[in-house]
Amino acid sequence: MSHPTLQHSTNPSLRWITVLCLGLLLFAASARAEENVFRPEAGRFPPLEKAHAYRGELVFVDHANRRGSLRIESKGIFRFTSPSPFAMLPYGIVRHHGAPADLRDIPLGALLHVRAYLPPDPKTSAVPVLPVNNRTKTNHGGLGTAPAENHALLLEDEPSHCLREGLTWKLQEVEIKNHEGTITATREPKQGGNSKASEETLTFDAATCVWRGREHLRIEHLITEGIWPAEGKKALNGQSVLLGLTWKPTPGGVFTRFHVSDIWLDDEAMQNAAHHQIETHKAFVRTRWLPAWIDAVEYGKFGRATITATLFGGMDASLYADFKPGTAALMNGVENTLKHTEGGTAGPTQMAARGKLLDVIKTPGNVPLGSSGIQIRFETDLITEGMRPTRIVKIRPTSWPDLHLPREEYIGQGSIDERFPTPDIFPNY
Amino acid sequence: MITPTLHSSPGPATEAGKRFWIKNKDGFPNLLPQIFYQLCLGLSLLTTVAIAEDAPFRPEAGKFPPLEKAHTYRGELIFVDHANRRGSIRVQGSGMFFRNDPHPFAMLPYGIVRYHGAPADLRDIPLGTVMHVHAFLPPDPKTSSVPVLPIDSGKQDANHNRGAGIFPAENHVLLLEDEPSHCQRLGLTWKLKEVQIKSHAGMIIATRQPKKGDDAKATEEPMTFDAATRIWRGRECLSVEELIAEGAWPAEGKKGLNGQSVLLGITWKPTADGIFTRFHISDIWLNETATQRAALNQTETHKAFIRSRWMAAWIDAVEYGKFGRATITATLFGGMDPSLYADFTKGSPALMNPVADTLKHTHGAYGPAHMASKGPIQDVIKLPGEAPLGSSGIQIRFETDLIIEGIRPTRIVRVRPASWPQAQVPREEYLSDSLEERFPSPTIFPKY
Repeated sequence: MSHPTLQHSTNPSLRWITVLCLGLLLFAASARAEENVFRPEAGRFPPLEKAHAYRGELVFVDHANRRGSLRIESKGIFRFTSPSPFAMLPYGIVRHHGAPADLRDIPLGALLHVRAYLPPDPKTSAVPVLPVNNRTKTNHGGLGTAPAENHALLLEDEPSHCLREGLTWKLQEVEIKNHEGTITATREPKQGGNSKASEETLTFDAATCVWRGREHLRIEHLITEGIWPAEGKKALNGQSVLLGLTWKPTPGGVFTRFHVSDIWLDDEAMQNAAHHQIETHKAFVRTRWLPAWIDAVEYGKFGRATITATLFGGMDASLYADFKPGTAALMNGVENTLKHTEGGTAGPTQMAARGKLLDVIKTPGNVPLGSSGIQIRFETDLITEGMRPTRIVKIRPTSWPDLHLPREEYIGQGSIDERFPTPDIFPNY
Repeated sequence: MITPTLHSSPGPATEAGKRFWIKNKDGFPNLLPQIFYQLCLGLSLLTTVAIAEDAPFRPEAGKFPPLEKAHTYRGELIFVDHANRRGSIRVQGSGMFFRNDPHPFAMLPYGIVRYHGAPADLRDIPLGTVMHVHAFLPPDPKTSSVPVLPIDSGKQDANHNRGAGIFPAENHVLLLEDEPSHCQRLGLTWKLKEVQIKSHAGMIIATRQPKKGDDAKATEEPMTFDAATRIWRGRECLSVEELIAEGAWPAEGKKGLNGQSVLLGITWKPTADGIFTRFHISDIWLNETATQRAALNQTETHKAFIRSRWMAAWIDAVEYGKFGRATITATLFGGMDPSLYADFTKGSPALMNPVADTLKHTHGAYGPAHMASKGPIQDVIKLPGEAPLGSSGIQIRFETDLIIEGIRPTRIVRVRPASWPQAQVPREEYLSDSLEERFPSPTIFPKY
């Protein structure tokens, strides 16, 4: 007679049933875990607090498809980390120098703060879809350097991050030789200090730009003016500045150390930088149209329709101010990458639904990130395909210029396989 | 029966062929020798065409190609893959600029990038910048990192009102320079004739002409500007609005600018009014101080870059010794700041590594110093005559006690004087096991 404790291992059928049950249980648990993960839904702005936050160095940009790659910071060796592809959500916001931006405005190498989610629909993701738990995995000693959360709601450089969160960098000490060296600084709330803020050591060099009012200075000018020493250490007494951060190869076996590309010494200097970026972005949106999604469509007769749409957020207020009741406007269906899909080489105006803005409504309550909090009602006498609830569109008040877009920014023959560059950039030798 | 009279207008080939006509026993000419002759002639013509096909100039390994043999064009930088020293440019043709597909290009190993009048890496150039290009056919089409095109691509009409010249086969670049770099190299300046402005945006009419003396033939070019255009004066960075506040430009309307001499940064933006091609002014440098400051900033950026990535060169000769010892002669590539070359001094220790034609280090995650050949620089030789573009005109003789694979004549290497920092390069800038290690990888082109 078998001992009960042995029965478990000696009865093959019972053992297999147990293993099967356990397997099914694990499968069900993993399926439930997959069901439980948060993904942005079409027609709803995802809450910022559900985003996965990380930061990394911008290494590659495909601006026409609103995607790129970041080397993500971890506790591992930064330089070992392969760039991780990301895509902007259609309503995802890019900020540079404290102002709205397009990906093309961000210099390669800039360190960016990211708030991102799992792909809303993995089947149509513009970047590789990774296992949901990828951020818990370690690669070359770096934990979370390729998170599955690669669809960004917010991508912001260091000064934008500080300005949004009310933070400042307090410079503690500079150590310098031959116009280069290290700065010790703490990032802490602008109002009131933070005794718990930990000191960070950052490098700088002779190419670091120092901005003071309308002046563009270099380290050598700070030395000439006696503000920094030519050589040695000097305490900087918690001087409050904003920093632009990048990454450069680090000698001395340091795992991760960032580099100061810019120092804004005063508010005027930062405002000048923001002003330049705002004007760049305003001209960009006026030529590419303002993105939105469709909330509802009321169909009329013979192609007539009234469309309710929510304008996407994060732009300069003057752009939204051009949306006024009674003004004429044009609307086009676009890709999730915000690429125009109508009109091809003839330009986005040619096939656009035309009409006028019936109403411009400020939506009540807190505006989620990604939304402008502004809804428009637009009436057209000929609705075109693609204007359906939750789909993405772009809108142009007719006061904005009627322009043709460059080739890589529209889909001409109706195929999303029109790519610039093409897969030919990966030859097999 | 074929007789000479049937050839209504005999060409030279037919005439020559007659000499080979041999009549057979029935009195009919035997056509075989004629066919044989014509076949030979055909083959000879084919060979001539093939030779003509081969005749176009391609850079050769170990020789810097002469600038005057380069095909020149200009266009807007659209895409950059800095780790592989390649990108795409929308090339200016005779047609509608906005319709032109971005055209892939690769930098030659000794190809020079210049930005703001200073040496640069591709990563330093903002997307949208209009660049002047001097380029050649791929030196070896089999190993080109960008698509190889038919040799006459540059002459083909690209249709859809795009005109000719927008897909040149000459896509391997010796010199890529932005507008201020181009003007400074050629001694040119932009003379501003008139500004027309409304709401901080508008048009400038200007001519690009030699700095010294006037050029009556210089054609006027209208270019747009807007509220984001930066104006550099000495150490100041101004906006259009500040020029208006100072009274230098009107708030609205036209004003003559009397040929004011400036340097311009040029980009492209979508153009209204059905204009085929019109460029946009991103920056205006009002004086020499401002220009020099921009150049100095870029020079410092590039110096730090080269010190951390090592100086590129090619191998002229290797004299092998015993037990792995060798003396290597190498020519340093050109276009860098003189202070970098000054660090190559006789007797100083150095390291040398073979690299890919993209200048990527090839020795994996440990960092380029780990596997490098080490030894002293025995000599630094200034080559006689004017250095061709691409070359520094400086040769080094480097002795190592352990030469590694890849250090062979005409191959590309990188060299670091030991006084430069021992920094490790990031993942996308080195090869570990295979050329197929790519960042991003081909998975960025999903099939839906």
